[in-house]
Amino acid sequence: MNLTTLLYRVALRSLPRSLVDDYGDEMEELLHRELRRARDTGGVLAVAVTVVTAFADVARRAAYEHWRRRGRPRTQPKRKHMPSFVPDLRFAIRSSTRQVGATALIVGTLALAVAANTAVFALVDAVFFRPLPYPQASRLADLNEQAPKWNLEFVGITYYDFDQWQRNARVFDGMAVWDGISENVSNGSTASRLEGQQVSYAMAGVLGITPVLGRTFTKDEYVVHGPNVVMLGYGLWQSRFAGARDVIGKTLRLNSVPYTIVGVLPRNVTLTEPTEFWLPLQLDPQNERGNYSYEGVARLKPGVTLEQARRDLFRVQEPIWRQFDSTRTVSPRIMPLRDRFVADYKTIGAALGIGVILVLVIACANIAGAMLARSIFRRREMGIRVALGASKWRVARQLLTEALLLSVVASVIGTVVGRLAIGLVTSGISDIPPWLSLAVDTRAVVFSALIVAVTALLFGLAPALQFHQQDLTSSLVGGTRTAGSVPQRRMLNALVVAEIALAAVLLAGGGLIVRAYANLRDVDPGFQPDGVASFSLSLPNAKYPDGRYKRRFYDRLVERIQHLPGVTHAGIVTCAPFSCHWGSFYTAEGAAPTSTNAEDPVVLTRIASADYFAAMGIKLLRGRFFMPNEGSHTGLRPAVINDLLAKRLWPNVDDPVGKRFIFRGDTSQRDWLTVVGVVKDVRHYGLAQPMRPGMYMSTTVIDSANDFDRFAVVAKTAGDPTSLFPALRATVRELDPELPLYNVKTMRAALEESMASRRAIALWLSAFAAIALALAIGGIYAVLSYVVGRRRHEIGIRMALGAQRGQVLALVVRQGLRLVSIGLILGVPAAYLGSRLLSSLLVGISGRDPLIYVGVILVLLATGVLAALVPARRAARVAPSIALGEGN
Amino acid sequence: MRRHWFYILLSLAERDRHGSGIMRDVLELTDGELKLWPVTLYGTLEELAEQGLIRALDHAPAGTENDSARNRWFRITAAGKRSLAAEVTRLETTVRVATRRLARGDAS
Repeated sequence: MNLTTLLYRVALRSLPRSLVDDYGDEMEELLHRELRRARDTGGVLAVAVTVVTAFADVARRAAYEHWRRRGRPRTQPKRKHMPSFVPDLRFAIRSSTRQVGATALIVGTLALAVAANTAVFALVDAVFFRPLPYPQASRLADLNEQAPKWNLEFVGITYYDFDQWQRNARVFDGMAVWDGISENVSNGSTASRLEGQQVSYAMAGVLGITPVLGRTFTKDEYVVHGPNVVMLGYGLWQSRFAGARDVIGKTLRLNSVPYTIVGVLPRNVTLTEPTEFWLPLQLDPQNERGNYSYEGVARLKPGVTLEQARRDLFRVQEPIWRQFDSTRTVSPRIMPLRDRFVADYKTIGAALGIGVILVLVIACANIAGAMLARSIFRRREMGIRVALGASKWRVARQLLTEALLLSVVASVIGTVVGRLAIGLVTSGISDIPPWLSLAVDTRAVVFSALIVAVTALLFGLAPALQFHQQDLTSSLVGGTRTAGSVPQRRMLNALVVAEIALAAVLLAGGGLIVRAYANLRDVDPGFQPDGVASFSLSLPNAKYPDGRYKRRFYDRLVERIQHLPGVTHAGIVTCAPFSCHWGSFYTAEGAAPTSTNAEDPVVLTRIASADYFAAMGIKLLRGRFFMPNEGSHTGLRPAVINDLLAKRLWPNVDDPVGKRFIFRGDTSQRDWLTVVGVVKDVRHYGLAQPMRPGMYMSTTVIDSANDFDRFAVVAKTAGDPTSLFPALRATVRELDPELPLYNVKTMRAALEESMASRRAIALWLSAFAAIALALAIGGIYAVLSYVVGRRRHEIGIRMALGAQRGQVLALVVRQGLRLVSIGLILGVPAAYLGSRLLSSLLVGISGRDPLIYVGVILVLLATGVLAALVPARRAARVAPSIALGEGN
Repeated sequence: MRRHWFYILLSLAERDRHGSGIMRDVLELTDGELKLWPVTLYGTLEELAEQGLIRALDHAPAGTENDSARNRWFRITAAGKRSLAAEVTRLETTVRVATRRLARGDAS
C-alpha cells in the first residue's frame, strides 16, 4: 500500500461509518483505476491533479453526507471478522465520551499521578539504576581513607599511601587519584575561571576513556617539575577552540603559565566536578605523607568483589601502619563508585519515589472506587448483556478495556507533562553530580508503559472481578433498588480505607519533612547572612610569587572595599561558610599526652583578616577579634578559636583567652598561637551538619605562598548586597584586570543554596500529601454519595417513622468517620514505620514526633466529616414520601 | 433534479451497472464534462437507493467477469424510471419554452 492509498483511507474515515463500511473498498479501487489512467495518459501532473481532486471530493462530500444523516441513530458497525478487542474499544470510547465530566476527572487524576511518576522516575533512575557513563562501570570503585578517631568519614588519600597501594595491590586492573583545581584564564580583556582536575597516571585507563584527539599524559609527564602539559575537556575544546582539530601543540595559559595542549578528553569524563581540563599530578610520594587531599577511583579485576579488594588494600596498608601509624588511625576505604556520589540523593530519591508511587496507588484506588460505583449502576445493563448471550469473561473484558483506554489516554498526557516537569524536580537540587544524566529515553518510556498496564489492572480489575463472580441474572430481577451486593460494598469500603491509610503515610512523611525543614531554617547559622556580598579570588603564583605580594594585594583590596560607598565592613577568609575544608591538629601548651585511643577530631582551620568577623556578624563569646596589623611586629601569633576547640584543648578552663597552643606537626616548638578570643562558630558544613572544633589564624602572621592561594572576600552593607557587585568587580579590576572573580553571591544566597535540596524535597512531599488528601476527600465523597443514593428508600422509611434530620445527618457522617478511623488504624502505624526511611533527612525532629501523628489524625478526621457532609445533607433532604414511591 | 442524479438514473435506465461502470458511462454521456469522483458517486448512489429510485443488487448479473463481480451492482427501480421520465418531460418543456422565448426575442 502506498502513501496516497493510506492517506485516502484515513481521509475516508471522515465519512459516516455506514458509507465507508459499504463502499470504502470500492472507492479506493476506483481511485486506483483513476490514478493508473492518469499515469498512463497524462504523467505526473495528471496524477497530481487526480490526487488533489479526489481528496477535495472527500472533503466536499463528507460534510454533506453527515448533514444528510443528521438526527438519525448511528448504525451499528457491520459484523465483520474483526478481533473482538476493536468493538470493545469502540464501546469503551462511546461509554467514556458519554460521561464527559466523569471521564475528564478520571483521566485528569491519573494523568497527574503519571506525570509525577515520570518526573520522579528520571531522578530515581539516575540515582539507583542508570549505569555510569564508563565502560564496565560496575567494576569501578571509589577509593578513600577513613579515620573515625578524627571524626572524618572521608579523609582523602595521601599520595604516599596511594603510591604504595598502586605498587603492591593485586586485585585491581588499575587505580588513580585526582584532585579538583581551578585556574584563572585570561584572554586579555576578560578573565574567567576554569574547573579541572589534576590526575595521576592511569586515570584515563581506569575510567576506560580514550582521548578524542591527541594523547593522554605519558609516564614521564608525572614527575616533579615535569613539563607543563594539559588535556582539554570536550566542552572547553568546543567553546574556546571551536572544536578545531589542530589544537594539539597549541598553548593554553593557566594562572598566567603556558601549558602545551596534548589531547582532548571525550564527553562525560566528569566525576563530581566539571572537567574543563586535566593536568598531570607531578608529585614525589616521599614528600606527600601528611597531605590527605586526593580522591581515588579504581577498576577491579573481573570477578573481584569489594570485600576482596578491601582485604587486599588492608594487606598493602600493613607496612605503612607499622612504619608511620602504629595506632592504625587511618585506614583504606573502598565502596561502589555510585554509592559515594549519590549517597545524599538516595534518601531523597527513595522518599520521592515511594511518595509518588503512593500517589499513583491512591489515584488508582480512587478511580477503581469511582468505576466500581458506576458499574454497580450499570449492573442491569451488564445483566442484560449476559442474558443475551455474552459470556461473563466477555463482559469483564469489556470493563478492562475501558480501564485500559482511560489509562492509555491519561498516561500519554501524563508522560508529556511529566517530561516537562523533570526540570522542576531537579531545579532545587543544585549540587547533583553532572554525570547523573536525567534524560528521558526508552527506559522512561518503558516505565510509562508499565505504569499504564499496572494502573489499568489496578482500577479495572476490581469491577471486572466483581462482575465475574456475580450472579448477574439476579440483577435483572432486582433492579437498582437492591443493587450493590455485600461484596461490592465491602470492596468499595476497602478502597476508601486503603486511600485513607496511604494518605496518612504521605501526610505524616510530608509533615515530618516540612517540620524538619522549618526547624532547619530556625537553626542559627552562626553569622548574619543579610547584607553580605561575597566572592572568591585566586592569585597565580607566576604573578604573585610569595606571601608578601599576595598579602599586599589583599591588604590593598580590603582597604579599598572598606572605603566603597555603603560598605560598613569587609574582610577575607580562606574558607567561607559552606565552601571548602582545611583540617589540622593542635596541641595545648603543657597538655598531658593523650591516650592513643582517645578521639582526636580534626580542627577546621581558617585564616581571616581582622574585619572579617564584623562583616559576617560572628558572635564573640570571650576576648576580642583580631586587630589590624596585629603581631606583624611583635611576633605574637593571635588565634580566635570556637567554643568546641576551647573545650577540647582546655576542658577544665573557663576562659582560655591568653592560653597558647601549637600546630602538632610543628617540631620546632617555636610558632605558638595565642588565643585572643572565643567565638560561637559559623555552621561551616551546613545547618544540618554538626559543627567541628575550629580556629582562625590572622592574615597578618602568614607568609608562606600557598596559604594565600585562594580567598573569599566578604563585604557588609546596610542595603542590598547585590548592588555592591559592580563596584566590587571594578575594584578588583583596578588592582589586577586579569583576575577573575568567582563564587560571586550573597551570603543569604549561599545559605539558601545549602538548604535547596531539603526545600525541594519538602515542597514535593507536601505536594504529594496535598494530592493524596484531595483524592481521599474525593474517595470518601464518592462512596458516601453512592451509599446515600442506594439507601434513599431506607432513609425515606426512617424519616416516615419519625427520624429527625439531624439523626439522618449523623448516620451518614458516622459512616464516613468509620471508614476514616479504620484507615487511620492501618495508616498511622505504617507511617510510623515509614518515617525511619526519612531519618537521615530529619533534623531537630524525631520520626516519632507525636505532634505530626496527632495532626495527621485530626486532619483526616476533619476530612472525613467534610467529605461526608454533602451526601449527608442530601440524605437529610430525602422526603418521607420516597418510602411510598418507587424508591428510585 | 440534480444533474448527477439525472445522469446516474439515465445511465442505469439503459442497463444494470456497477459503480465504476456508472462513472465511465456518465463521463461518456456528458462528453467528458461530468466526472463523478468516488465519494460523490457512492454517496449519491446510497442517497438514490434511500430515496427508492435505484436499488443495490444482491448478486452481480450472471456472465460478468470476476473483477466487476466483486463490486456492488445497481438497478433502477420503477419509481426511478418514473422520476427520470418526469424529469425528461420537465426538461423538454423547459427547452420548448426557452426556445420559443428566445425566438420571439430575435424577431422583435
